[in-house]
Amino acid sequence: MQQSLLSLFLILSGIIILVFILVYLSSIQSQPQQGMKNPLQKRFWFITIMVVVLGMFFFITIPKSPYYLYANEQPARIVHTVSSQFVFLMSNQDIDPAQPMGENIELNTNELVEFRVTSLDVTHGFGIYNDKYELVAQTQAMPGYVNKLRWKFSEPGKYYILCLEYCGSGHQVMKSFFNVK
Amino acid sequence: MFKRTFSTLLIILLISNYNSIANNLYDKQDWREEEGIYTRIYDAKIKLISGEQTSIHQLAAKKPLIVALVFTRCAGVCNPLLLQLKENIQIILRKNQYKFSVLVLSFDPLDSLKDMQNLAYRFNLLNEPNWELAVVDSISSMTKSVNFFPVWDMRKKQYDHDALLVGVNTQGYITKKLIGLRSADEISLLISDINNVYRPSYRLPTPANMFTCFNYDPKTGKNTPGWGLAFIALPALLTVGILAFLRLRGKYHS
Amino acid sequence: METKKLNKITALWIVAILVLFILSIILGIIMRLNQGELIKIQPPTFYADMTTHGVTMIGIWFVAGMAAVNYFMERYVKTSYTANMFAMVMTVIGVVMLWLSTLVGNFHAGWTFLYPLPFKIMWSTWATPLFLWSIGVFGIGWFVWTISLMAAMLKKYSMSQVLAWQHFGKKDPEVSTPPFVLISMISLIGVLTCLIAAVILLILLFAEYYSGGTFKNDALLIKNLTYFFGHTIANEMLYLGLAVIYELFPEVSGRPKLKTTWYVALAWNLTLFFVLAAFFHHLYMDFVQPEGLQIIGQLASYLASLPSSGVTVFSIIVVVFRNKINWSLTNSLFFIGIVGWVVGGVGAVIDATISNNFILHNTLWVPAHFHTYNAMGNVLFSLGFFHWFSKYATNHSLPDKYSFVKLAILIIGGVGFLLAFYIAGADSVPRRYSTYPKGLESAKTLAAVGGVFAIVYLTGILSFFVNISKRCLNVLFQRS
Repeated sequence: MQQSLLSLFLILSGIIILVFILVYLSSIQSQPQQGMKNPLQKRFWFITIMVVVLGMFFFITIPKSPYYLYANEQPARIVHTVSSQFVFLMSNQDIDPAQPMGENIELNTNELVEFRVTSLDVTHGFGIYNDKYELVAQTQAMPGYVNKLRWKFSEPGKYYILCLEYCGSGHQVMKSFFNVK
Repeated sequence: MFKRTFSTLLIILLISNYNSIANNLYDKQDWREEEGIYTRIYDAKIKLISGEQTSIHQLAAKKPLIVALVFTRCAGVCNPLLLQLKENIQIILRKNQYKFSVLVLSFDPLDSLKDMQNLAYRFNLLNEPNWELAVVDSISSMTKSVNFFPVWDMRKKQYDHDALLVGVNTQGYITKKLIGLRSADEISLLISDINNVYRPSYRLPTPANMFTCFNYDPKTGKNTPGWGLAFIALPALLTVGILAFLRLRGKYHS
Repeated sequence: METKKLNKITALWIVAILVLFILSIILGIIMRLNQGELIKIQPPTFYADMTTHGVTMIGIWFVAGMAAVNYFMERYVKTSYTANMFAMVMTVIGVVMLWLSTLVGNFHAGWTFLYPLPFKIMWSTWATPLFLWSIGVFGIGWFVWTISLMAAMLKKYSMSQVLAWQHFGKKDPEVSTPPFVLISMISLIGVLTCLIAAVILLILLFAEYYSGGTFKNDALLIKNLTYFFGHTIANEMLYLGLAVIYELFPEVSGRPKLKTTWYVALAWNLTLFFVLAAFFHHLYMDFVQPEGLQIIGQLASYLASLPSSGVTVFSIIVVVFRNKINWSLTNSLFFIGIVGWVVGGVGAVIDATISNNFILHNTLWVPAHFHTYNAMGNVLFSLGFFHWFSKYATNHSLPDKYSFVKLAILIIGGVGFLLAFYIAGADSVPRRYSTYPKGLESAKTLAAVGGVFAIVYLTGILSFFVNISKRCLNVLFQRS
């Protein structure tokens, strides 16, 4: 997914750079002041195309937002997740903030898991990476709030949690994992 | 080099963890409402005051449940809990379309069905369609499954216990809990929750913040603006004010 | 005499900005090299470095835009030199306080200083208030400057004129608002709004700090305010640069001045609103934020791209397309800067899509796109102005030497540096990591490559710095 976004970006950037190079060359090679014919009309078409393309993107992507993921299903598993500087604690049970304790988490493929993510101190990020270290899903861990992230893991294997919000000098060592069988 | 980095990190880890734990104790966040969420409530056999025998899961299968735990000799929180619940539910029923029933269970082994009938009579619940009162046969398994641990106070001859409401969906899962006497809004939130309405987030019952952005309105499922939101709108409003002032001043000087 | 005074102030701004820019680039290179494990610094040092880099860069490119706008504003209305100088003094004091708090006090909560991180003290205890006050000092200086520029404009133009409303539905209204005045005003309104947001943010943070914790803030509210301020100021500084381009691009190209038309007026008036609502896209992954605001965030971010591309970029293309213009270093920098701005915008729109943000948020994709329209956009806009100013104010009319080489170095360095960011972002590498954990294999190599290209970019900047600052110092020490 990320790679296709990169390709999209590179293609669009390539087109943009090409257009500007052509515009530049047209200036260098032009006879004095030929100018653009009917620029207002071209401008109108350009904006219309932009509106249509962006509008399409908007209506296609909005329903794919994480807030609507599996909203009509009943989760099979709840994983309580508490983050604090600089550890993630995950548990099948609720976590007591006075004595936070985590446990090893094993999930099954294709079962709907709901991660209930919060923080004990500062804002952290809860980023789920697969064993190839590709980011598959994320939410923020904000103190005072619980974010519910629903996800189905289609591939078995080891998954890593990395912190995706800067949380202090141990931010880069904040890491945890769980298994999907 | 690696060793030094590692030891520095370890020190940072220790210090910062110490800090965060100290801060947490200071904050005294009450997360008991998070306990046992999405575990199943114990499927105890219950006897309703109508005389009907059923079980908690069977009853929940018909309509999702709000389970209230009381005992009839209670001189403490049970009465206000039931009174307020009844009042709030009357308010909610005018607006809320979700299905639910309230199941009032006794956790006192000494309570008989007769006692519960009297309780229903006292609170005028006999003809309320959404209310069921019952006694339960395996009290300890049931209370344990909802993390409810009343303590017998020898001096007062009373149970010392929380005012607990447990939301149970039609599959028998506990989806939300409320501890303490709560507002109609929060009861309504509980009702939408046991009807499996997914909301991506909720606030924890932390010490009240003066300026929060949103208060969740369970009746509509939407957030209503809180005081905090005013702060987000304030910059724009102030800017308009300053611009108007500058223009008036400019006009005056020219 | 009067112009000389403004020239001196502007020259001083330029030298100060370039010196701070070079120092901040070096901080940036240190970060990339450390991530690439070519050098080794301790994590707290890395993050203090990161905090310094972030706040300084935003600060200097904001004041660069302001200084340029102030300079050209003088063509239309009388501006206050006192306010301009006051802003400079406050900026210098603010930078000193900031660098003390981070480099000496080791404060390292990031330029976002996301609540409650500044209060989880992992540095000298005095560094937190010093850092917050440094932001306050910047805020006061810039607030006064913004107000004074607005007041100057509103003395001459009415509210509707300054926003070019008389251009709606009329082809040639009696009073024509110059595009420069319109865009400056729109940007300054945005600036003022986000500075007020910063004031509210600081008041809330100080309330908690000085009450010893009896007053508690709400993390969600503070995050909203942080990005209201942070996102908006970063966005508005680009628009300040565009105001300068509207003014200067046709002038140095030997083309007639751009005029305000109904669509230019409409585009910029709409931009004001889109920009103020776009900051919500920083909170997409905070599911606690109501969905309505998340959708507004995506909508506003998409819509903001329409007036920018359809009106501003298109206007520049119309000026250049099949027109023989006087190409110089100044308008080349502007032209390349526009490309950088648009390309960065594409990266931004991709990331401002909620479903993409789900897998790109806080990866290196984020620094990738904002470095594109800063390092290859806004910086070039300002460099173009600096270069033009340094020649104009010293009556220097000789043609530029080695322009092609200078630009080539800047582009090669910039593109390489940015590509390393984009590829790492697509490889899910998290941002703001002092070193990378095992498993993120490409991250280290890309960081090292990015660092090396950043050194090339720095070389390009230095080549500009030498000539520009030499001439600016001449302006500064001219006898008046």
